[in-house]
Amino acid sequence: MTETRGVKMSSNTIDTPESGFTVAPITVTHPEKVDVRAIRLFRDPPWLLRLTLEGDRSYTRVKVVRAAPLSHPDHFIALLDARDEEICMIDALDDLDEETRSLVGEELDRRYLTSRIVRVLSVRNEFGTSYWTVDTHRGRREFVVQNVGENALWLGDHRLLLIDVDGNRFEVPRVDDLDKRSVALMEQVL
Amino acid sequence: MQNTLKATPHQVDTIFIESPPPVVRTRLDAITSEHEPVLIQVAADMDGPGRYARSWLVVTAEQLIILETEATGSTVQVPLRTVTAVRAEALVGGGRLDVEHRGSTWAQLYYSNTLAPKFAEIAAAINQLVRGESLSLPTRLEATRCARCGRILPEKDGVCPACIRRWETLRRLLGYIAPYRWRALVLVLLTSAGSLVSLVPPYVVKHIVDDVLAPVRPETQTGGVRLLALLVGVLLGVNLTMWVIEVVRRWLNTWVGFRAVEDIRKALFSSLQFLPLRYADKRKVGSLISRMTNDSDLVEIYMLFDLPFVFSNILMIAGIVVLLLHMNARLALLVLLPVPPIIIASSLIWNRLQLYWRRWSTRWSRLSSHLNESISGIRVIKAFAQEQREGRRFEVHNRDLQDVSVSAERSWLVFFMVTNFFVSFGTFFVWYFGGRQLLRQELELGALMAFNFYLMMLYRPLKWFGDFYSFMVRAFAGAERIFEIIDAPSEPYDRTGTEPVAVIDGRVTFQSVSFGYDPGKIVLHDVDLDVRPGEMIGLVGCSGAGKSTLINLICRFYDVSRGSLSIDGVDIRDLRLETLRSQIGLVSQQSFLFNDTITENIRYGSPDAGFQDVLRAARAANAHEFIVRKADGYDMIVGEGGNKLSGGEKQRLAIARAILHDPRILILDEATSSLDTPTERKIQEAIRRLVAGRTTFAIAHRLSTLRSADRLVVLDNGRIAEIGSHADLLARQGFFYNLVRTQQVNTAMMASHSVAGPQTLTAGCW
Ligand SMILES: Nc1ncnc2c1ncn2[C@@H]1O[C@H](COP(=O)(O)OP(=O)(O)O)[C@@H](O)[C@H]1O
Ligand SMILES: [Mg+2]
Repeated sequence: MTETRGVKMSSNTIDTPESGFTVAPITVTHPEKVDVRAIRLFRDPPWLLRLTLEGDRSYTRVKVVRAAPLSHPDHFIALLDARDEEICMIDALDDLDEETRSLVGEELDRRYLTSRIVRVLSVRNEFGTSYWTVDTHRGRREFVVQNVGENALWLGDHRLLLIDVDGNRFEVPRVDDLDKRSVALMEQVL
Repeated sequence: MQNTLKATPHQVDTIFIESPPPVVRTRLDAITSEHEPVLIQVAADMDGPGRYARSWLVVTAEQLIILETEATGSTVQVPLRTVTAVRAEALVGGGRLDVEHRGSTWAQLYYSNTLAPKFAEIAAAINQLVRGESLSLPTRLEATRCARCGRILPEKDGVCPACIRRWETLRRLLGYIAPYRWRALVLVLLTSAGSLVSLVPPYVVKHIVDDVLAPVRPETQTGGVRLLALLVGVLLGVNLTMWVIEVVRRWLNTWVGFRAVEDIRKALFSSLQFLPLRYADKRKVGSLISRMTNDSDLVEIYMLFDLPFVFSNILMIAGIVVLLLHMNARLALLVLLPVPPIIIASSLIWNRLQLYWRRWSTRWSRLSSHLNESISGIRVIKAFAQEQREGRRFEVHNRDLQDVSVSAERSWLVFFMVTNFFVSFGTFFVWYFGGRQLLRQELELGALMAFNFYLMMLYRPLKWFGDFYSFMVRAFAGAERIFEIIDAPSEPYDRTGTEPVAVIDGRVTFQSVSFGYDPGKIVLHDVDLDVRPGEMIGLVGCSGAGKSTLINLICRFYDVSRGSLSIDGVDIRDLRLETLRSQIGLVSQQSFLFNDTITENIRYGSPDAGFQDVLRAARAANAHEFIVRKADGYDMIVGEGGNKLSGGEKQRLAIARAILHDPRILILDEATSSLDTPTERKIQEAIRRLVAGRTTFAIAHRLSTLRSADRLVVLDNGRIAEIGSHADLLARQGFFYNLVRTQQVNTAMMASHSVAGPQTLTAGCW
């Protein structure tokens, strides 16, 4: 039951009316549809991202953000200009050519500093606050999650996101892939 | 710039000078000279966006240095004079310090969210240096770790649950009993007497059996029936005494306990009211409310039903053990044998039980919040015909709750069975070993029976202590949270030395005011503005530009971070808060009404006003007509938050409230935004009447509302972009001009679709 986990994984489909009468679909004009193959990204100067739509316009200080970082991490990537206005959206990373994709990937890694938990070393629960020591793909980390009921989000049946008191994010992509001890430790508090 | 730095190199606060390990020291020494004063030297907790590692940021008077990873990583050096700006960029789960400079090296530093507040301050400080100002850093950051044990705190500047000062908390709780100390003392004495008296009956029974009914040595039998009557009389007397003691004790207990708890609640509520808004910002409303309800319930139960029994139960255990040893030391030791296993077993199962209870309460709160949501959102649910789905969601929550209830109940059963099993062992021991002693005539039957009674009586307080401890921990945590609020510094209402101004003229002066809700995340930058008494200022800008924030500062809901704000030439911090606020009339976007009559709501700020005044204010606000159309007129109860009224009606009441209050400084924060154009036109007149002679700050999206403003202040991203009269600004063809033009285009567009739209100023915002 995905509905109970707080984040819905599937999108709703809209029922079409049964009568013969058809309604004009609602069209969205902004941002305009951009051919993803026309997207060129550069680092210029090296710490800023510049985007040009081939033969058209150019933007500097471009930001790359995920529209749905939890449910669709590899799809619906929005490119924002310096004022945080959307330039265009990349529906799927796979649509991009090799070079652009790796740049976009790099930018995403620079923006989403979520850590993946690979092992749980200890968990203690005191008065509704849990103290964790874990190994993540970035190295060992201690953190505190307050009110586990609210700050541990199940994204689907196996994926777990923990948000600590400072707003740092820790993810377990598949709880079942962790070793037995880690799972047992986690079960004590979740 | 260099001068200011050289003059004050040592005044920099040490929290931004951290001491690096030797490796870093060496690397630093290699690239800096001795004569360069170090201004900032801090560690970040990531190396690039990659791994957790310590990287260092060092700012000297000459240069900015970033050392990635302590021992090996790269070194970036940027001369300070080439730096143009430093930004603390907020990322997801962390942040990045971007150093923009005229060189070509890549100067960035990543950190996790834990350090984000620190680096926000640092970015602001480096920007000061870059602009050539002298460096000012905050003297302290919010504590994230416990000062005593180093544990990460569950809440910034919060209480460390591990270091709860148990005795200190107990002492403070007892402090609330102090006013009733004599009754409390009597209570303790009575409870103890009660426990001691309850030790008597088994002893009497022993004598009845041994001396009267089944004497081991018949020759010692003396009185027969007379003795029996005497002993039964004693038994009766003891029971009567116990009964009287229990009645008095309970009566006293509730008397003292409830009063103490009432006092605690009173103190908590009054400090909640006086808390600065900043405090409420950081905490969820729910968590504050739960202190008022859950936490004080915990304390109440503890004070009423736990604390009074500590002493008596200790006495009881001691008394029983002494009696058992006295009656028969060997048997007593045998009987006490199962006690340690009971304690061990229960503590083992205890953890498991707690786990289930915690789970149960999480699921329960999930269920109840869903219930709450589906009742308050009932209109939306029905409008989208989603009753079935909500029903299914509820079922899922309900089943989850049931699952965990079953497991909890099962564990509880195991816990119960195990303890009972061990307890029954005590009884077996008594019967077997005691029975053998009886057969060997080393023990009398009555003594054996008394032994059994005492054993049963012993396990009860023992088990009680098990529960008591775990509950005490929870109650103390609750008490700590309550005391935390009681102890929180309240707003400086009557700070000594503040001037008790009677009436203010209403001159408001901002002098390079900067402000941020969170330290470092600046919302208002360098605002300079001088408002004459009686002047009407229109504040214009996109949503999020900082208009309401500016107003929050005038009301002193928050204090400025830098610069100064003065009223009639007196710094706002030197004004008495009460006088200040009593002269400010605020009509805000969300006009909050209390669940009371319309009259009382209008009268809220001026409780002494007569009904005539209320009528006049309501008329002036054009609220009168709609009020008299209501069945109960001015006596109508408006419902929670005023939900029985329409948005426009609520706003008119709020305006009436401000009119009646008769303030010197009037603030209209989108006060007319939920009124339709005809109604607004009616109110315009009321507002013009109200505005006359008062300093007014009006925020509005409609041009018409601001027509009468003397000056318009255009805010863009927390900065004042333009100031001037309506005509001036249009002539200047700047920011305001663009806003107005876009809006005209929009209105024209709407008109062509034959939708008459009011002229709004936000149309040109992104
Ligand atoms: N209590 C608060 N805590 C933190 N940030 C806030 C708070 N109130 C407002 N802000 C932020 O301050 C900025 C200015 O808000 P505000 O002054 O309310 O804008 P407006 O001009 O629309 O009235 C916004 O970015 C907003 O998110
Ligand atoms: Mg506002």
